[in-house]
Amino acid sequence: MMEEAMTDELVIFDQVVKSYDETEVLSGVDFTVSQGDIIGILGPSGVGKSTLLKIIAGMVDVSSGEVTNRAKRIGYVFQEPRLLPWKSACDNIALGLIARYYTKKEARSKAEKMLEDIGLGGFGKYFPGELSGGMVQRVALARAFAIEPDILLLDEPFSALDAGFKEVMMTLLETMISEHQTTVLYVSHSPEEVVRIANKIFLIFAGGVLEELPVGEDESFNQFLQDVFIM
Amino acid sequence: MIRFIINKIKDDLFSRATVVKLIGMCFILLGWQIATWSLGALAIASPFQTFSAFFRMVPTDYFTDNFFVTMRRLFFGVGIGSLVGFSLGIFAGLYDDVRNFLELFIWILMSVPPVVVTVLAMLWFGMGSNMVVFIVSLMLLPFVYINVLKGMELVDERLLEMTDIYHYTFSMKLFHLYIPAISAPLLAAMNIVVGNGIRVVVLAELLGAFNGIGYAVGISRSNLEVADLFAWVLATLLVVAFFQYIVLKPAQEYFLRWKI
Repeated sequence: MMEEAMTDELVIFDQVVKSYDETEVLSGVDFTVSQGDIIGILGPSGVGKSTLLKIIAGMVDVSSGEVTNRAKRIGYVFQEPRLLPWKSACDNIALGLIARYYTKKEARSKAEKMLEDIGLGGFGKYFPGELSGGMVQRVALARAFAIEPDILLLDEPFSALDAGFKEVMMTLLETMISEHQTTVLYVSHSPEEVVRIANKIFLIFAGGVLEELPVGEDESFNQFLQDVFIM
Repeated sequence: MIRFIINKIKDDLFSRATVVKLIGMCFILLGWQIATWSLGALAIASPFQTFSAFFRMVPTDYFTDNFFVTMRRLFFGVGIGSLVGFSLGIFAGLYDDVRNFLELFIWILMSVPPVVVTVLAMLWFGMGSNMVVFIVSLMLLPFVYINVLKGMELVDERLLEMTDIYHYTFSMKLFHLYIPAISAPLLAAMNIVVGNGIRVVVLAELLGAFNGIGYAVGISRSNLEVADLFAWVLATLLVVAFFQYIVLKPAQEYFLRWKI
């Protein structure tokens, strides 16, 4: 008990298998996320990146193996913002907090503060349909950080944005991760994004086979990533 | 919300659409007058006779008594039918077993002619308000149920996933996800529900009540007071118009204002 309480391992995958009908997406994955990790998972489409996140979020069950998840509050930013279109930006953030037992007043006040933090101070009353793609994704990011997550799962969150917006969002994400000291699992097929954010990088191959890469900052490492990825 | 509705009505009043609708109304009045000239005032009262009879009737106790009895029945009938249809639709949308269990019941309600239900309800409840309210509720319930169910089926699975991840409670999902998601088909259904509601109320009153617009229509018909009969029809049209243009349309625009 004592050992478990003191460990800094938030999520442990032990020989996890996940199949959809006949197709095995993850076959015997061993993987650990520790507190403070900023993990980037790189891989092409269809190799189980999103499935990995969905398992951690409790959205799908594993077929076999064991997942230990000590993260109580999970923030999730999807490829698309998934904001309630009939709720204002402020309400979209506040509802996540109300679900976490904040009073309406506290939730609204924190939501407004989060909107200010992401540079959308005057946009609290706007509906998602009235905001640009980059702005709604910022609101989605604010919603995830607002609950002060034990782990933040990012599933190719900026892939739908153009290069200019992506740069703004990456900078914002870096700032928020450093301010909130959040443990992050960032899934992407873009080496540039992952290298910039992560302090641990994994390559994921078909069947969910994970291979950790040593993080380097020199050009040769980046070139290596590009080469592996193109292959 | 009230300010929003008042502004919306003001905007609508002076719009091009309103002018076109007024032109359409003039054509109806013209066609109506031509029909009176062709078939005679004993078959079709003229617009002038109808409006004269209407304005003569409105200040009388006979009109107010019968009109408000019908309104009360309509209110309770539509209210109960909508509430039950809405609740069943929500549960059927959430649980497949409820939907399958109700399928035959709803199909029967959709298929049985209102006049048959009226006759049966007269046997069960006797003449009067309970019978009328029962029939209206029962006849309108499937419209609301089917539209709510359709709306529930169209709720975005991805939003549902999001609400699960962020631990929305059942009531939060109901009030912030399901109800807003179904409000478009539901409000569209309410237009039909109110329109059908007044028809069913009048039919039920005609066949089995001692007061109300339907009863008054029956009396006018027996006495060959064609202008009065048309005046009662005008009264029912005004009720539907009130609900559709003063209540439902602004409500629709308010609740769906996020759709840009």
